[in-house]
Amino acid sequence: MATFFEQLINGLTIGSFYALVALGYSMVYGVMKLINFAHGDLFALGSYLGYTLLIASSSWVTVHFGLWGGMAIAMLFAFVGIGLAGVLMERIAYRPVYPAGRLSLVVSALGMSIFLQNGIMAIWGSRPQAYPAAVVPSTRFSLLGLPVTTLQVVILLLSFTLMLVIWFIVEKTTFGAAIRATALDRSTATLMGIDVRVVIFFIFALGPALGGIAGVMNGMYYRAISFNMGWTYGLKAFTATILGGIGNIPGAMIGGLLLGLMESLFAGYVSGAWKNVFVFVILIAVLLWRPTGLLGEKTAEKV
Amino acid sequence: MGITESMLKRVGLGANKPSGDQPVTFWSKNRGWLLLAVTGALFAAYPFLPFMTDYWIDVAFFVGVYALLGLSLNIVLGEVGLFDLGHTAFYAVGAYVTAILNTTLHVPIIVLLPLSALVAAGFAYLVTSPVIHLKGDYLCIVTIGIGEIVRLTMTNNPFNLTGGPNGINGIGGPNLFGLAINSSTQFYFYTWIIIGIIIFCLVRLQHSRIGRAWNYIREDETAAEASGVDVRSYKLLAFVLGAALAGVAGNIYASKQMSVSPQSFTFIESSLLFCIVLLGGLGSIPGCILGAAVVVVFPEVFRQFASYRLLFFGLALMLMMIFRPGGIWPRKREGTGLDGLGIRGLPKKDEDLIPLGKPDPSILKPASRAVVRGVKLPPVTVAMDEGMLLQTHGATLKFGGLTAVNNFDLNVRTGKITSLIGPNGAGKTTLFNMITGIYKPTSGQIDFLGRDITGLKPHTIVSYGIARTFQNIRLFPSLTCIENIMSGPHCHARSGTWAAVMHTIAEVREERDIVATAAYRLDQVGLWKYRNELAKNLPYGKQRYLEIARALATAPHLLILDEPSSGLNDKESEDLMVLLQALVKEGFTLLLIEHHMQVVMGISDCIAVMDMGQKIAEGLPKDVYNNQRVIEAYLGKEDD
Repeated sequence: MATFFEQLINGLTIGSFYALVALGYSMVYGVMKLINFAHGDLFALGSYLGYTLLIASSSWVTVHFGLWGGMAIAMLFAFVGIGLAGVLMERIAYRPVYPAGRLSLVVSALGMSIFLQNGIMAIWGSRPQAYPAAVVPSTRFSLLGLPVTTLQVVILLLSFTLMLVIWFIVEKTTFGAAIRATALDRSTATLMGIDVRVVIFFIFALGPALGGIAGVMNGMYYRAISFNMGWTYGLKAFTATILGGIGNIPGAMIGGLLLGLMESLFAGYVSGAWKNVFVFVILIAVLLWRPTGLLGEKTAEKV
Repeated sequence: MGITESMLKRVGLGANKPSGDQPVTFWSKNRGWLLLAVTGALFAAYPFLPFMTDYWIDVAFFVGVYALLGLSLNIVLGEVGLFDLGHTAFYAVGAYVTAILNTTLHVPIIVLLPLSALVAAGFAYLVTSPVIHLKGDYLCIVTIGIGEIVRLTMTNNPFNLTGGPNGINGIGGPNLFGLAINSSTQFYFYTWIIIGIIIFCLVRLQHSRIGRAWNYIREDETAAEASGVDVRSYKLLAFVLGAALAGVAGNIYASKQMSVSPQSFTFIESSLLFCIVLLGGLGSIPGCILGAAVVVVFPEVFRQFASYRLLFFGLALMLMMIFRPGGIWPRKREGTGLDGLGIRGLPKKDEDLIPLGKPDPSILKPASRAVVRGVKLPPVTVAMDEGMLLQTHGATLKFGGLTAVNNFDLNVRTGKITSLIGPNGAGKTTLFNMITGIYKPTSGQIDFLGRDITGLKPHTIVSYGIARTFQNIRLFPSLTCIENIMSGPHCHARSGTWAAVMHTIAEVREERDIVATAAYRLDQVGLWKYRNELAKNLPYGKQRYLEIARALATAPHLLILDEPSSGLNDKESEDLMVLLQALVKEGFTLLLIEHHMQVVMGISDCIAVMDMGQKIAEGLPKDVYNNQRVIEAYLGKEDD
């Protein structure tokens, strides 16, 4: 039972990282119909930004604002930095390529991903870096007799809050309606007076920014970060997005959490080495059963 | 024209056909041969250039391996347009089959070359056939998944077969009838000769009915299916052939490296292959080689910048897509003339082709013969009313809670024009979609030529003799007009991959018949002079005619037209009426959806009226015209 609980909370934690990254994937996809392969690398960049801030001048931030204050500032820093990076990325790599069609966009996205990954390596080196123990909160306590760390609780609470906020913005506000309208039909949305440029700006700022926060949380949770971790997380988050139904906000959350849970339970009970094989087999099985993902809408093509 | 020249022209290298007023010079006559000879000589001389080192010969070898992989992915991605981001799976299967069988059972590498291709192809068939129906990005993630599953399986060393993360060492080299291949130069020639043979086959395949069918699917899947292309089978064929080539590449790679390990088959590798195809230009064979050269040589040239080289590479990919999104060497379809189709034995003058395509009137007669133009029809099982070609009995289609078509009986009389009219949203197009197999009826039966065709696939129905046009024109936009129409006879032709590569006598004859039929139909609708234009460049009205010609080229018994006159002006509508009446005279039966009352009343022999999915009237035009229920459906009820 203790193992089960441990795997469960571990799975939920990883799942919430996946879900946050998947949210960004899904938002960008919904509006731009673009698989942003560089999204995972922005997540990695976020992790490195938080790391740099926390180790700067012998952990000045942590010393002055405490463990939790330091963590909050690092997340904010990554949030803003990655948001900016996302907007820049759209301007440089996607906007000029957009007229050329989807395949060219995919290549541009892959190019961006390689660029970011090697940029990170050029700045921070190819060896993995570690968040120093001194800046990571590590208090353990027992919840209903089961051991958890405060960090896990904070990560889970924060992720769920963020997901709720995004869900609220997209589904319940006027601006969210503008986003959904743009996703459905960009030219009609423009005709209805929606400034599509603002929507795209917002999507490319917020989507990656969420990944930036997830990057810092991931760094705090696992401590070790490496320049190429973006590929793995990007791939997993993309899987989660498709699993839930691409372009669908609740789908991305459910897909991410489910993926994290499946992965960690399979690793705990069956085999760690085969867990990713299991994940992809499940993905293919789900797509055979529901070709547009768990929450994806079944669409009949209009002929 | 020499074979070589036509081949070069087809890949986009050669000169255009010299038009009459240009003098034929030695250069223009032999350009193709010369270019091929120069390219061949350069390739042969490369290892013997002064200052050449084994290092750079190996680089050229790796360009070859990646070119081969690019060519193999190009079939799936470039020709058919399927997002395959897990192509290294098949490469890995080929490499590991070679490694395992060579190190354990000591099977010679040269025997393993075809065997690796076979196993990779079989693997591709097994894993892609359940998922091939998935669309776009969903298929993309599944291919990524397949790639990862294969790589992780190799890493996890099942049954101690794959050697785990370290892979397998001690693989032998190829031995060609006593000549052992082991030096860099030998491997260079060995690889590039194999690639040369493969390119020869691929060029022929590109310019056969198979290559065209792939392109039709890429351009518009629904239109391809509705023109008689078995979309599912052709997608599978692309994956299988692509995997076979990747398997060959895997074999070559394993025998050169003498070892394989999972690190060579990552997702990054797959995305590099994706970049090769797009850098070169979708569907372009020389493009693949150039793309491979860029991807392999670029990091080598920038080696002095050490860790920055991939940074530049990423940047270069983005810049490339910004400034040359079509690729370095995109495949050209315009300006090559009919010679660009790569069909042998065409008449000297293009015009002489038209009369060759005039159909034998007997094939247009709706017969109950067992074999119609090469398609084996099932035996007659249904008794139909006298004089009827098509009948629907209680055809019903429900979308969720909405009944779009309700218990509809449609009768189409042989050799007549039947029109289906009704207000917008009545369900007319939905009924057409049921007849042509795009939707499966919820209940009811559709009989055609004495056969129950309910629920058959669209391409099968086309081959039985029902062709259609679409309400919103669906052409193959980036193909030429003649290529568009050549999709029509596709379903009656039989040549397969082997025949296309070997140019068998039957295949050559079949191809000539296809292009002649297309020429005849193109001329019939008055678009002959646009034969080498891309379909997307035609004006709207002409696109409608092109679509009709494509449907006619399937030699249908029944031609279904969905609002043929929409978007045409009065003059054009009148021309259309003349054409439609001529078609009936030729022996076709017509079924129309039409809103243009002048057209409907002018040419219809029989009219059925649909409202809210139900039939409210049926009969001669004048009866329907005065029918009270019809007037109500269109204009509403008058207040008493």
